[in-house]
Amino acid sequence: MMADTDKAMQELDDLFTAARDTPAPLPAHLAKAIMSDALIARAETQAPTPAAKTRLRAGIWQQLMVAIGGLPAVGGLAAACAVGVWIGLAPPSFLPDPAQLVGYTESTSVPYESFNLATVLGEEVQ
Amino acid sequence: MGEPDSNLSDDALLVLYANGDGRAVQELTMRLSPRCFGVAMRVLGNRAEAEDVTQEAMMRLWRMAPNWQPGQAQLSTWLYRVAMNLCIDLKRRQRGGYVDLDAVPEPADTSRSAAEQMQDGARQDALQVALMQLPERQRQAVVLRHIEELTNPEISGIMDISVEAVESLTARGKRALAAILAGRREELGYSDG
Repeated sequence: MMADTDKAMQELDDLFTAARDTPAPLPAHLAKAIMSDALIARAETQAPTPAAKTRLRAGIWQQLMVAIGGLPAVGGLAAACAVGVWIGLAPPSFLPDPAQLVGYTESTSVPYESFNLATVLGEEVQ
Repeated sequence: MGEPDSNLSDDALLVLYANGDGRAVQELTMRLSPRCFGVAMRVLGNRAEAEDVTQEAMMRLWRMAPNWQPGQAQLSTWLYRVAMNLCIDLKRRQRGGYVDLDAVPEPADTSRSAAEQMQDGARQDALQVALMQLPERQRQAVVLRHIEELTNPEISGIMDISVEAVESLTARGKRALAAILAGRREELGYSDG
């Protein structure tokens, strides 16, 4: 009985040896995929993180502010922009109405019940 | 541009790769991937699954490269551990399993007759079928010990169990394999003489 067990174990060891002597070859397509993954992983570690991108954008704005004279200048710039918009929408009398310059005329008609609405909507009038 | 020194350790090659040296990629791939693939094939018994596990394990290696501390552990041990865990995860997601006999390579010894080669092939098939009948942890321990020829302490680190547990798993696994194969001795051409 013991001899049978020893024999079985020896045969099993022989099978293990044969298994070691015949390793499965690495498929070429798998080797290629693994090497491609290495390049992808390397690129991932070099791409800027979202935090790094935020720091970059903040840096650009800081440089702009310094160029125009800091926070007081930014405040003055904002105020000037607001005045410019106001003048454009409601100009003083000595300035032309910008709406008229582009051909807009105020109408008091109610387009909903008129032919004009159909024209605007492109519907066929029956 | 020269090739990286093939005498460099796995650690050194991984550091080279982490520092942007693409030439280390091929050397590391050809050193580590075949072992990973081979053990995955034995544990999973399925070629396609073994390929997936190998590719995923190597991808994890590439991603952790910047954080690898040379000299603290064996890179191959780390890779075995990742592969074994991936194998466990994969089998847990599956219901049942099957043996892909095409996953077992044919013996390449051309000095043997065709009949002998067929018999060798049949025996290797029988070994893989028997391995797939073992509980998963026993199968991993037996493959790592008797086919990959790792030491019990190495297997202990890979499987995250004590050395005593490794010895118990491999002993029980080997006894179970012998019992399974005993019923096929005549079929596999083993004689009592």
